Amino acid sequence: MTRASLVLLTAFGALALAAPTSVRAQDSQFGIRGLGTPGRGESVRARATGGAFAPFDPYSPLLDASIADVRRVTASVTGGTSWRTVDFGTQSNSLRGARFPAFLIAGPISPRLVISGGFSTYLDRSFGVTTRDTIDVRGNPEPVTDEVTSDGAVTDLRIALAARVHKNLALGFALHGLTGSTQVTAIRRFDDSTTYRTSNARDEVAYHGLGGSASALFDLNADLRVAAWARSDTHLRADIRGRTVADDDLPFSFGGGVRWRPGTEAAFAAAVAWRSWAGAGLNAHDTFNWSLGTELGSLVSPLRLGVRGGQLAFGPGPKAPTEFGISAGLGKQFSGGRGRLDFGLERLERKGGSGVTERVWTFLLGLTVRP
Amino acid sequence: MTRRPIRLALLLALGACTEQATAPGVCPDYCPGGQISVVDTIFADMIVRDSAFSGYREASQGAGLGVADVPGMIDSRAIFQLNGSVPPRVTNRPAPDTSTVPITIDSARLRFNIIRRDTASKNLWVKVYRLPLGLDSTTTFGQVVPAFTDSIVDSVNVSALLASPEITDTVTLRIWGDTIQTDSAGHVVQVGADSTLILFFHFDTTQARYVAADSGRVAYGVRVAADTLASIGLGSVESDRSATLKWFYTYPDTNAAPVQVTAERAATFDTFVFSPSTPPIDSNLAVGGAPAARSLLRVAIPEILRDSADVVRATLILVPVGPVAGAASDSFTIVAEPVVADLGAKSPLSTSSSFFSAKTIHLNVADTVRMEMTDLIRAWALDTAATTAFMLLQTAEAATYAQIRFYSTRTPAFRPALHITYVRRYAFGTP
Repeated sequence: MTRASLVLLTAFGALALAAPTSVRAQDSQFGIRGLGTPGRGESVRARATGGAFAPFDPYSPLLDASIADVRRVTASVTGGTSWRTVDFGTQSNSLRGARFPAFLIAGPISPRLVISGGFSTYLDRSFGVTTRDTIDVRGNPEPVTDEVTSDGAVTDLRIALAARVHKNLALGFALHGLTGSTQVTAIRRFDDSTTYRTSNARDEVAYHGLGGSASALFDLNADLRVAAWARSDTHLRADIRGRTVADDDLPFSFGGGVRWRPGTEAAFAAAVAWRSWAGAGLNAHDTFNWSLGTELGSLVSPLRLGVRGGQLAFGPGPKAPTEFGISAGLGKQFSGGRGRLDFGLERLERKGGSGVTERVWTFLLGLTVRP
Repeated sequence: MTRRPIRLALLLALGACTEQATAPGVCPDYCPGGQISVVDTIFADMIVRDSAFSGYREASQGAGLGVADVPGMIDSRAIFQLNGSVPPRVTNRPAPDTSTVPITIDSARLRFNIIRRDTASKNLWVKVYRLPLGLDSTTTFGQVVPAFTDSIVDSVNVSALLASPEITDTVTLRIWGDTIQTDSAGHVVQVGADSTLILFFHFDTTQARYVAADSGRVAYGVRVAADTLASIGLGSVESDRSATLKWFYTYPDTNAAPVQVTAERAATFDTFVFSPSTPPIDSNLAVGGAPAARSLLRVAIPEILRDSADVVRATLILVPVGPVAGAASDSFTIVAEPVVADLGAKSPLSTSSSFFSAKTIHLNVADTVRMEMTDLIRAWALDTAATTAFMLLQTAEAATYAQIRFYSTRTPAFRPALHITYVRRYAFGTP
């Protein structure tokens, strides 16, 4: 076993232990009444291009075949901080959160075969909701404040294998273990705290699921590459203290993309994805998402731009909420290409039923290291 | 790209690592599907077994002496015996003369503390009677009735005394230590810092009756009378506020004027006797009175409260057998204290006062008694190893004749119950 392989296996082991508690993506009010907010599976590089480069980016855990060209052990981590404004008609609330939605490590285990592992957010389930009400208790009106919070996520633990089976064709396969937990609380506070004690329920919900994916990259010519992927996830089981409290269908997904690199300092990409979330319980919708992006400049310090649009998987009403975003970013290689820092800034606007609009600024920071 | 923007971006990322994930919800569309629901139920069968026990504290061991006279309801009287130890003869002066000379009693001053009274009482009379010696805890109301009939020593109208002007001159202050109010008969009253009335009776030798054979040991009884609300509480030995008697006497000095001496003696025993006496324990739950009664109630916590609910309020419901007879303005407090172990009458009480609950019982009122026991029931719901029983007892036990009785589990229609408001377990894990 080569030194690189040893490093890879060690890294996989560490990741398997550390991942489920540490990873979360950007959340949304639209996911509260559903299974959560689906993660993006995109590195900072891909995110800065609106997601259009995700199928072609080996450090975006979307398309397994893309790791086929990784020739050295490489690790990449993505972090992000979001500032969200949610408008419910005349009511507006500001929220913020810091997340580490993706980590990936990949490296060759043979001249043709590349293995990759890592985790990314599958569903974010971090939110908090407070409500005021007056209830009738023992014949008297009692004002109360309820607070329901959830802190955690469902993580997609992925082990992927990819191989370049032909100089123009790379194939990839991956197994996905969905796991994670959320710390949940439900608190009811009575204004008359002398008479009524605060009710405080806490629990931990554990999630389990499985999935598999397959993908291919095909070079039509030196400048044009197309990608296709499909993924099927089974069920998401929610357990509380060993008892299953929910079992929801997970979507079948597929998508594709095309990348055109007309020169050494310019690349353009477009991607689409369809996911059958509608079977995933209440308020779930099938989604279609698209993205366009470009990467300009040298590989040492490129400028990235992107635009994306589509639908959100969860939201009240018969129609899926919509999302539109623009993004931009920069990259900077250092240490002779052994490391790279990526920065991104994304602006999203989501609109859904009941006149709800969510606007998000997300600052992204990514680090890629080739030891 | 220079290093400065990179550092700036890193600092920005680090500085933003604070969460604000909670926002007012717009329900039901943008709230979790679960509901925090409150259930309000009277658990009639949570009190599973109960027992009443008597004799925890005798009237002579109480922190007060209840004195009341409500015709047709209650007649309660305080009795106390004061220490003697005032020798009839003393050594002659000057020393070293070893012969003795008799003392000459001049007068005596009886003092006792009224620790509880109703300020609305009108024409409150306190009457002092001379009683035969030999008082003890077995002394009954009937045994002292004759003395209360023919041996009145003195009486004072406390209402009138309190209405008299305060005497504030420096001589009075030097002698009494505080302002006083007095009447023409020489009775004095002082109002203590805690509103206790300190009442002084000045007795001449006829009233005090020094008996040499008893070295000045005397016994007195106290009754009250009033136009309304004739009920007071006197301090007792147990509360360090017992009655005292100060003897004023002289004895001769061969070479000088007679020597003036005072000797203050405290009560060695005090109690109160009343009629009608407390009936014996029956199938109901008795609390208070003299001798003091307690009731032990055992609670079975339902599974729903242990597994699926969070108690936010718990109220014990007790139905009195009838009103407690006595002076209309009087009240007493009963408390529910958890027991550490269920050993029946001898169950040790917990010292965790945070789990105690108290209720003031007003006399002549038969309303259902409700006691808040939220913290205790919440604690029991979380602890399967706890002894789920509590004792009902009176605070300042055996300080009053008043005893309340509640229906027990043996009377299904009026048995003790727990009114519990709880929040159902939230349905976590479902959208």
